[in-house]
Amino acid sequence: MANSLFSTRTLDCKDLHVYLKTLPSHILDRLYNHPATCLAVFRELPEIGKHYVMRLLFVEQPVSQAVIGLWINNRHINEHHICTRALSDLRIWYEQPLPGGMQGWILNSTFKTNMKTALLGGGEPWTGRGAVPLPSDKNSKDVEFLDKYAVERWECVLHFMVGSNEGKDGISGDTIEVLKHSGLMKLEEGEPMPFITPGGFQFLLMDTPSQIWFFMLQYLDMVDSRGLDLVECLSFLFQLSFSTLGKDYSTESMSEGQQRFLQHLREFGLVYQRKRKEKRYYPTRLAINLASGLSSITSDSNRKGFIVVETNYRIYAYTDSPLNIALLALFSEMLYRFPNMAVANLTRDSVRAALIRGITAEQIISFLRTRAHQEMAKEGPALPPTIIDQIRLWELERDRFKFNDGVLYSQFLSQGDFEKLRDYAKDLGVLVWDNNQKRVMVVSRAGHDTVKKYWKQLKQSGNS
Amino acid sequence: MADSTSTCSLVVIILDTNPAWWGRQSNHGNPKLSLSKCVDSLMTFANSHLMMNHLNKIAFIAAHSNFSHFMYPKRQQREVTDIDTNIGEINDGKYELFDRMNNQIKDEIKSLVLKNMEVEFENDSLIAGALSMALCYIHRMEKEKPIGVKMTSRVLVVKASEDNPAQYMNLMNTVFTAQKQNVVIDACILDNDSGLLQQACDITGGVYLKIPQPQGMLQYLLWVYLPDPSTREQLTLPARVQVDYRAACFCHRNLIDIGYVCSVCLSIFCSFSPICSTCQTTFKIIAPPKLTKKKSKKPTT
Amino acid sequence: MVNVMKGILVECDPAMKQFLLHMDETEGLGRKFVIQDLDETHIFISAEILPVLRDRIDDLMDKLSFPLNEK
Repeated sequence: MANSLFSTRTLDCKDLHVYLKTLPSHILDRLYNHPATCLAVFRELPEIGKHYVMRLLFVEQPVSQAVIGLWINNRHINEHHICTRALSDLRIWYEQPLPGGMQGWILNSTFKTNMKTALLGGGEPWTGRGAVPLPSDKNSKDVEFLDKYAVERWECVLHFMVGSNEGKDGISGDTIEVLKHSGLMKLEEGEPMPFITPGGFQFLLMDTPSQIWFFMLQYLDMVDSRGLDLVECLSFLFQLSFSTLGKDYSTESMSEGQQRFLQHLREFGLVYQRKRKEKRYYPTRLAINLASGLSSITSDSNRKGFIVVETNYRIYAYTDSPLNIALLALFSEMLYRFPNMAVANLTRDSVRAALIRGITAEQIISFLRTRAHQEMAKEGPALPPTIIDQIRLWELERDRFKFNDGVLYSQFLSQGDFEKLRDYAKDLGVLVWDNNQKRVMVVSRAGHDTVKKYWKQLKQSGNS
Repeated sequence: MADSTSTCSLVVIILDTNPAWWGRQSNHGNPKLSLSKCVDSLMTFANSHLMMNHLNKIAFIAAHSNFSHFMYPKRQQREVTDIDTNIGEINDGKYELFDRMNNQIKDEIKSLVLKNMEVEFENDSLIAGALSMALCYIHRMEKEKPIGVKMTSRVLVVKASEDNPAQYMNLMNTVFTAQKQNVVIDACILDNDSGLLQQACDITGGVYLKIPQPQGMLQYLLWVYLPDPSTREQLTLPARVQVDYRAACFCHRNLIDIGYVCSVCLSIFCSFSPICSTCQTTFKIIAPPKLTKKKSKKPTT
Repeated sequence: MVNVMKGILVECDPAMKQFLLHMDETEGLGRKFVIQDLDETHIFISAEILPVLRDRIDDLMDKLSFPLNEK
């Protein structure tokens, strides 16, 4: 597209529904074979949609669409349409004609069965909690340890991305593959190590749950090439996100594919396993927050905020992590460094430098907000509104111009000719701008050839 | 993504475990609804509520005939040990969290039923007491909630036994507190219509419904009580019932339509007394006001 | 007859459009670049000038802004 020339690419982080909609329907149907995936999908439904599902859950026969339409107030008919669309798109329900000839909805039976299982019990046990209870672990780990471990592992990946020395060890080829596949890092010819792309910087500024979710999506994109089954991985992942923090699970009943998947998750810090051969694993908060990270939850409850922003554009960061400081330096000007804190200034230049790199104002603001110090978070809005506004203004300032590649058609001899050509271009969707009085129009470059052809035809038929 | 406020919803379920009513119910030959079935329905309802959003919370209180008992969640320390003791217990496809909660509630109900066999039973339950417990709990959760999370709270009262006008004052006080705290009170009535709860629901903007068919309790719960107050606006729900706004008098705790009201403190009495028992005001007029009114009116007409 | 020209359609606020016209008139970028002035907020310019123009706009913005904080 010509537009990519002018606009900077922002990282596209899909939410669960958008992702699921990209999957072919037979995979979706197989996914619903596990209660955990059903739960995860259910939670992401629009509010009204959840209630539709709950109301239909214990109904065996199809329910007429007209009846379901009456469930909602006339004033909110829009929400109703959004819901029915979402439910059909995800194949949670489908249309079935009723005996009387009316159309009805019926819940996907696999989905229904597994929802009931999750809700009421029965059915197959989830993997990892087999019939044989695990003997209690003598090396049992507490929540604190798991949190620390998970954060360490994940920061390893982040460190690797920014190229700091701390991330060198413990990053496997697989991870690097994922990073390269996702476009977060790029391998330049003649360089042994890949380096970070603008997309990568945006990734770094996201909050941890979103990072993990983005990363896992990219990973799942590649599972086929690794000989792993997508459905198996996804349902295991969702199962992890519905497990209990601080509890151990057995690897006994896991398939070979899942075992391999587990080893990968171990590398990213989503699960803790003492030794590779150990028969038990602990899911960490990263895995459990995965399902919640899909929706609007952006606060990392497990990590303390460290940033204080003052109205004079000064940032105090109470941290000694080089990673955090490096991230901060992406959009601010470092002033002082102390053993446990750093001071930086937000300046127009520093923010602009970040914007030029493709980082958006929204990303900067959400970075500051999610990592705000507790004392800051206590007082209403975590960031001074002036700062938020200024960052947004700095971004807008770069957007005073909108450049559109195009072709200008002018000096039409007759109004009729102009209108014909304009309407044709409009129908094609290639018309960018037009002015009736001046008889001037601009067509996008992609549409130029077809419009030109049409014009020639028009002229010939007019002459003959 | 900029929007960092997330909402969660807390539902406190108050179950009327009045032994007299439930006992009579099971003695009827073909019980329409047994206590265990009712608890099962409520737990499915609780699971469904938790399923709606991962931040959603649930609490469970039993209103007994002579005391109220907090059943779920138990104190913080218990939760941690629970994880350790329950390992390996679950071997079906139920979500762990649900299973743990359900088991705990079942255990509590069992011990509640077994423990209090010898006491004399009343025909009514301490709904007001349970409600105030619920409000206290909601208040605490409100204070403890993580920063940036918006919490909406409501109370669901599942009531079977009769009203007791003696609770009128206490109940009304809790209801007005609830109104101030923006807590919605819903009532799900299994047997006798309750005027007090009708008022409670009306004041706080909750749903009052007497279930026509107790066998289908779960469906009623899921249809009417599962949606949040904000979602309820969008859905079509049963219309409001006619509210019985009778108040109980302060002297004999009778529900009355017409009575005497103290002009100073607005206390209600069913019979005239020269001194208000609440604020000690003495009324100068010796004759009953009705009579004096008539006398004064006569000359004018 | 129809005149066909390739270039870039610029959409901006009236003030910025005046700046562009000014740059064009005074040949601030070394040459003329505006192909047609379309309306209040639209202007059609030649494509080759874009990189130079962007630099120039950045310069202008720099001149327009004041340092907000002292060190």
